[in-house]
Amino acid sequence: MLEARHLTKRYGTTTALEALTLTVSPGEVFCLLGANGAGKTTTINLFLNFVDPSEGQALVNGVDVTRAPLESKRHLAYIPETVMLYRNLTGLENLEYFAALAGSTDLSRGSLLKVLERVGLPADAADRRVGGYSKGMRQKVGIAIAVAKGARALLLDEPTSGLDPKASNEFSELLRQVSGDGVAVLMATHDLFRAKESGTRVGIMKRGRLVALHGTDEFSHADLERLYLEHMHD
Amino acid sequence: MLARIIRHEWQMLKADAVLWVIVAIVGSAIAYGVWNGTRWVHFQEGAIEAARSEERVRFDRLTAQLEKVAAGERVSPFADPRSPSNLGSRLAAKVAVLPPAPLGALTVGQSDLLPSYVRVSTESREAVLASTEVESPLRLLTGRFDLAFVVVYLVPLLVLALAYSMVSGEKEQGTLSMVLAQPVSLGTLVAAKVVVRAAALLVIIVGLGLGTLLMTGVSLADAATRERLLWWVASVAAYMGLWFAIALVGVSLGRGSAATATLLAGLWLLLVVIVPSALTLGVQQLYPVPSRVALVQATRVASDEANAQGARLLAAYYEDHPELATGDAEQAMTDFNVVRLAVNDDIEKRVRPVVAQFDEQLSSQQALVERFRVLSPALVVYEALSDLSGSGQQRHRHFVSQVSGFHDEWRRFFTQKVVAKTPVADLSSLPTFTYSEEPSSALRARMMATLATLLVPAVLLGGLAFIRLRRYAIAG
Amino acid sequence: MIGTIARKELTELSRDGRFRLLAAVILVLAVASTAAGWLQFTAVSRQHAEAQRETREQWLGQQEKNPHSAAHYGVYAFKPASHLSIVDTGLDPYLGVAVWLEAHRQSEMKFRPAQDRTAIQRFGELNGAEVLLVLVPLFILLVTFPVFAGEREQGTLRQLMSLGVAPRLLVAGKALGTLAAVALVIVPVSALAAVAMAWASADSYLAADVSRTVALGATCLVYFLVVTGVGLAVSAWAPSSRVALVTLLGFWFATSLVAPRIATDVAGSLHPTPNAAEFQRALDADLSDPEEARQRLARLQAETLTKYNVTSLDALPVAFSGLSLQSGEDHGNEVFDRHFGRLHDQFSNQARVYQWAGLASPLLAARSLSMALAGTDFEQHRHFAKAAEAYRRDIQRTLNDDIARNQRAGQPYLAGTELWSRVPDFTYDAPSIGWVLGRQATALTVLAGWLTLAGALALLATRRLSATLG
Ligand SMILES: Nc1ncnc2c1ncn2[C@@H]1O[C@H](COP(=O)(O)OP(=O)(O)O)[C@@H](O)[C@H]1O
Ligand SMILES: [Mg+2]
Repeated sequence: MLEARHLTKRYGTTTALEALTLTVSPGEVFCLLGANGAGKTTTINLFLNFVDPSEGQALVNGVDVTRAPLESKRHLAYIPETVMLYRNLTGLENLEYFAALAGSTDLSRGSLLKVLERVGLPADAADRRVGGYSKGMRQKVGIAIAVAKGARALLLDEPTSGLDPKASNEFSELLRQVSGDGVAVLMATHDLFRAKESGTRVGIMKRGRLVALHGTDEFSHADLERLYLEHMHD
Repeated sequence: MLARIIRHEWQMLKADAVLWVIVAIVGSAIAYGVWNGTRWVHFQEGAIEAARSEERVRFDRLTAQLEKVAAGERVSPFADPRSPSNLGSRLAAKVAVLPPAPLGALTVGQSDLLPSYVRVSTESREAVLASTEVESPLRLLTGRFDLAFVVVYLVPLLVLALAYSMVSGEKEQGTLSMVLAQPVSLGTLVAAKVVVRAAALLVIIVGLGLGTLLMTGVSLADAATRERLLWWVASVAAYMGLWFAIALVGVSLGRGSAATATLLAGLWLLLVVIVPSALTLGVQQLYPVPSRVALVQATRVASDEANAQGARLLAAYYEDHPELATGDAEQAMTDFNVVRLAVNDDIEKRVRPVVAQFDEQLSSQQALVERFRVLSPALVVYEALSDLSGSGQQRHRHFVSQVSGFHDEWRRFFTQKVVAKTPVADLSSLPTFTYSEEPSSALRARMMATLATLLVPAVLLGGLAFIRLRRYAIAG
Repeated sequence: MIGTIARKELTELSRDGRFRLLAAVILVLAVASTAAGWLQFTAVSRQHAEAQRETREQWLGQQEKNPHSAAHYGVYAFKPASHLSIVDTGLDPYLGVAVWLEAHRQSEMKFRPAQDRTAIQRFGELNGAEVLLVLVPLFILLVTFPVFAGEREQGTLRQLMSLGVAPRLLVAGKALGTLAAVALVIVPVSALAAVAMAWASADSYLAADVSRTVALGATCLVYFLVVTGVGLAVSAWAPSSRVALVTLLGFWFATSLVAPRIATDVAGSLHPTPNAAEFQRALDADLSDPEEARQRLARLQAETLTKYNVTSLDALPVAFSGLSLQSGEDHGNEVFDRHFGRLHDQFSNQARVYQWAGLASPLLAARSLSMALAGTDFEQHRHFAKAAEAYRRDIQRTLNDDIARNQRAGQPYLAGTELWSRVPDFTYDAPSIGWVLGRQATALTVLAGWLTLAGALALLATRRLSATLG
């Protein structure tokens, strides 16, 4: 569903991402690990066509995102560290707007409310302005957008940073549900525990390179941490 | 899709206090501007009426005197109501009026500086045209708060205020990447934003402007007035369009909101304040118009010389105007009034080169202004708005040329009578002046040129901005 | 401490490309406008001095004629340009430059330079005062808006306050830094303008001009302080630098472009003037009332006969025509004083409203002072017009006295050069700076009030600073 081919991004002399080759299939949750500045956000931005690749290609559902940026985004959903919404609109209105932009046809209040309910947004919150939402609620609206849109690939950039453990847990649970529906998930994260829990594969990045690639069932949580720290040394 | 974003943008704009602050500001500014312009037009009408009434009173008195003289009363030769010389130079001088145009209340323009009527007599053309209205010099210096001021100065600022953070605001707020993660291009998003803002502003300005104008009692019965109003709307829309394009270029540079605002404020200052005043300075330096003091002195010297030559000039005058030497030339040679004609003619001939210098320098200035006007859209639109209100240089020049024609006719009429010593018995036989409006085709041509001057750069800059937007740094 | 803060502000500013660009633009405009002002001043002074000399020569060169003919021949008085009109042309373009002084009539000054210009002049003239009072304040506002708001956004303000810097010192340091930046731009321009003025008037740089120049400089400085205070206060108060910027731009627009227009409108409504035709009609009605003239002459005749103790005009030792001419002048003078006095009073009143309007916009007070110090306000125009009119009345009296003394009934009387040269040349002394400032008391008070207010606002800002760190 998501595919990177020799994907490279250079900013002047710094190489943010070097020849990344990667495939994320439907139903898979791929976790990108790595220190700050390793190139995780760059990877996600490349898939979103927010930045142009210096070399290589990013493909979504087999189409090159630079060639067909709008077509590729029809299948994508994006959840940044904090899902930013229009403060003056209610959660429902925000969802309606984004879903409309995404090209969804069923924008009835009933079905949108159902989506919000499914992602676990408290019932009374849907009609409140998002100005007062907590971060956890915002992330849920983010997932709701993905669901309403019927996205087939999900790009997440440190979505659980700063969430309290309960909210973080709920979020991971949602993620598992979504991927169970056959969505390909690419998630940048620092949370090794969550990566082990909800991921199917992990990739460790270092200075723009993917230096390790493993299935999460290959080791325990402690092994993963050791592996990670080993790569971070030197 | 575009429609959906437009709806959303309108919703956001509605919820934003900025729009309502703008509505309040624009609303009061427009109402005040139109009201103020209307007051000015009333003042002008009052002044014209006062001048006309002075003329009426004078003519009534003249008629009464003529009757008395006809009945055998004796009068001094200097007050003789039959003397063509007295009538032409003073007693029967006629007021030539440039009436305020139907849309005069929209732009005061130059109408507070240039006279709206002159008193035509056999005096020199310069003396006839040199009349001035009593007006506070402070007000002349600051200019008036009319609708044109609102359009020229305030509207661009409002455009910039609405547009500067269109994209950077969403980026700073974090929603930009959320929106662009959907199958929507930045170009579409920006286009929708511009459409909403431009439409809102245009509706506010045109709606309130026309609304207050109609409340002041302007009649739309005349097709020419309606056409002018349409041009007015088109010019304002084009001007706004150009400022949106300028704002877009600022936006497309991808800087933060505060930086974009500073940049756009600087551009506003440059185009609306600095370029016009620098251009004024420039044309005055390149083609300095001599001080009128020079003209005063030249006239003085010429009249000293002419007066000294007196009767000798008359002979020369008859050589130049053989057609006039029909009557009793012998007698005419000693006649005070005929000598004066010849002397005045000579003075004018001597002063003409100095006068020509003024006209020449001024038209060189004007030509330069016309060439460099494109440097500032404010100048372009100001000129157009004054033109449409009939308070600009164009209409006044048209008036002056008609007055010149009338002045010539007036002089011919009286010169013949002075030389032939034909008394005037019937005041209704004197030449009369009515201002005839310029053909609308000339206006139309100028307006097309104005629209082109505003829209071509608008399209080019807008295009440039949209091209640049493709490289807008959405992330980071 | 203040010095350190100011130095840091200045260093930061001087590294900012926008600041450098803006400073360069202002510098260029100031130089260009001063140069143009200087050229204009020298041209006008030369023309007027020459014309004044010529008009005197023409007067003296009159052939033998009756004094009353000479009175009708008249002389012109040309308004001299003041040295400081190099920096502020003020109302000069909109006021006449010459007045014809002839028998029987007081005239308005004629030939407004503005009528010989293109329409774009209405966008404002670029002169030194415009740069100093309109552009420099904008520059100050653009420099001050991020001073606190920006530091708050960057988070450096918390840092600063945590170091124990007293808010008062911080505000003072920032104000000093801003003013130093302004000085970087202003000082070279002022020096240049001073040199230009000194050069333009190598032989006649009067002490009066020096004190006026110093006072003008002080006015600008006070105005800059006011603007700096407002800028710092808004920057401290605003929730973000964006809000600070928009607020300050709005302040600038309202005070510099909107307020002058509204102020002159209000002044015009409070103290309306008649239109030219009405003014003329009222004047003519009072001036040439035949009944009044008849009575006046009869009275004059009776009085003269009693005075000289004779029974018929022919027996008078003086020419009655001279007396009656002067009586006509006296009557006219009284009418002119009334009508022109009323009209000019209205203009003066309007100018006073403009000074009061300084309460709404400090620019108006500063503008009013600047025009007054430059000698280009209405009061000094009126001062000149009065001097010219007094001169006209002197001429008429001299000539009429001569007629009364020398004319013999039934004989033509011609006077010559001796009489013409008895009429002194017209000289005009501009009023002293005390006279000028006395008429600007309102503007001075208002500006002082603004300075206090700006100081208070800056102090409030210091309170606000510590309160808004959360
Ligand atoms: N717009 C940019 N210009 C220059 N360098 C950038 C830009 N964006 C990211 N980088 C650099 O690219 C590298 C990767 O950054 P990023 O992908 O954001 O890392 P991560 O998300 O893994 O923390 C970093 O060294 C960063 O400094
Ligand atoms: Mg990152």
